[in-house]
Amino acid sequence: METYVLTIAIVTGIYILLSLSLDLQYGFTGLINFGLAGFFAVGAYTSAILTMKTGLSPLLSFPAAALAAALLAWPLGRIALRLRDDYLAIVTLGFSEIGRLVLVQEQQYTEGVRGIAGVPRLGASWGTPRFSEMLLLGMLVLCIVGVVLFLRRITHSPYGRTIQAIRDDETAVRVLGKEPAVFKTQVLMLGGAIAGLAGAFFAHYMTYIVPDLFLPLVTFYIWMAIIMGGVGRLRGAVAGAVILVAFTEGVRFLRGVIPGVSDAHMGSLQLGIVGLVLILFMRWRPQGVFGARGAK
Amino acid sequence: MNYADYINLAINGLVEGLLMALPALALTLVYGLARFPNAATGDFVTVGGFAGFGMHHLSGSLVVAGLGGAAAGAAAALAAYWLAFRPVMRRPVITLMLTSIGVGFVLRAALGIAFGHEPRAFEMPLQRAMRFGDISILPADISLALLTIVVLAAVFVLLFMTPLGRSLRAIADDPDLARVSGIRRERCMVAMWAIAGMVCGIAGTVSGVRTVIYPDAGWNLLLPAFAAAVIGGLGSPVGAVLGAILLGMLQELATPWTGFVYKIAIGYVVMVIVLLVRPQGLFNRVQKVR
Repeated sequence: METYVLTIAIVTGIYILLSLSLDLQYGFTGLINFGLAGFFAVGAYTSAILTMKTGLSPLLSFPAAALAAALLAWPLGRIALRLRDDYLAIVTLGFSEIGRLVLVQEQQYTEGVRGIAGVPRLGASWGTPRFSEMLLLGMLVLCIVGVVLFLRRITHSPYGRTIQAIRDDETAVRVLGKEPAVFKTQVLMLGGAIAGLAGAFFAHYMTYIVPDLFLPLVTFYIWMAIIMGGVGRLRGAVAGAVILVAFTEGVRFLRGVIPGVSDAHMGSLQLGIVGLVLILFMRWRPQGVFGARGAK
Repeated sequence: MNYADYINLAINGLVEGLLMALPALALTLVYGLARFPNAATGDFVTVGGFAGFGMHHLSGSLVVAGLGGAAAGAAAALAAYWLAFRPVMRRPVITLMLTSIGVGFVLRAALGIAFGHEPRAFEMPLQRAMRFGDISILPADISLALLTIVVLAAVFVLLFMTPLGRSLRAIADDPDLARVSGIRRERCMVAMWAIAGMVCGIAGTVSGVRTVIYPDAGWNLLLPAFAAAVIGGLGSPVGAVLGAILLGMLQELATPWTGFVYKIAIGYVVMVIVLLVRPQGLFNRVQKVR
């Protein structure tokens, strides 16, 4: 039971980081990132490979994971942000799908479809696996608090008002002499860094990562989370992540209760529910349950 | 590799390109009239593939299979339009895109629950490839390519030689001007979704015959179709078809260097380069930002 609670807490924490990342990009700035799973994967693989192949301490590999994801966001921003919104969606979706192909193909680094096994736990030499999970949870909570404080600070600053103005009326921002593309690229990189950090936590918690953990479904889980929780509000992102975990755990619970349902069927059902939630929320309540009034 | 291998690859690429042209055309039609990139396009393809598979199983005829696929694709597209897209039509593009993702997920889930995830192959007689020296061509590929060309030709005749097609192009060009000219927008929308769905459904049947059909099949076709439509210029039907053929051949001809896994990546890279150099697409006029 204690293990289960710990697991739930860590998974929730990782979803919270991802939701915060997407909420910064979409909720506050109006950027349509359909490639969140790609940034998440980059973070996970960067930290896993660095700690395993070069023996780097996680203290350094976590920031490196965030940095790698942020750097990858830069060219995407350069490509897509000069074009209309919908192109960013296509370009980022493609980025995450191609990223998965790279993970499959570049086997000398990523072990291909077999995946990387034995990613070191945090502080593994100091204590039991239980201890390292507690350590990971502690660090995760610290990171979430840090990210939330940081995002609160920037969203209440002139910078935050500018990105929200970009979301609401890009032309007006341009008329005021600010270049939206610059701000959008920065937000894309910042969000990428947060997602990369979440990926590093994920890799060192799971200790085994394969490309199939980073399907586009992960991206749309997080979209579902922030849309249900509320767009453009940090507490909405947190609430959404909690709802998301309740949903995935609920489905897992149902699988145990209903006899004769295969995993594949449950997977399909899960996909269908995510789809329905997206359709219904988009139609009736696009700003989410706790969404800010000004958000799109 | 000698010249014959390249010709074989080019022929294969041409067939794949023609196949890719169908969903790319559907994407671009929807984009032209409804103004959003429809991420459920691939799942309309899958629906058509399963329907085509079922009809072929019952009747044994490829023509019936194609008709069944087209009907199912159109039904799926119209249902999606009426139930999901129409209520949010005037909202921001993100609303429509997320709705289309949702529609795709629901369709894929329904297919997965109804038919399972085992890939299914059409029961086709084995055919010997025709050989011309070192160049070999599958007879099935020829008939599928011809079928695709007939479908594409039919859509273009409809678009460019009928009053309905003129109305559709008018709305794509300038919705307000079309409205004040008395074009009935709703009727055109229904027609457009039906055409897009049919085209996708036929694509599903064709790709099922060539390879196999499974619930994720269409999703895997979506990215190349996006790439083709963007390369040709989103909203330009001719561009989508040319872009798809170009991309299909490029992908195949590049496999000796890039390997099989990166085939999809080539489309993406070409799309990114086109976006950087010529954002309006290779075959499109300069786009207005609305």
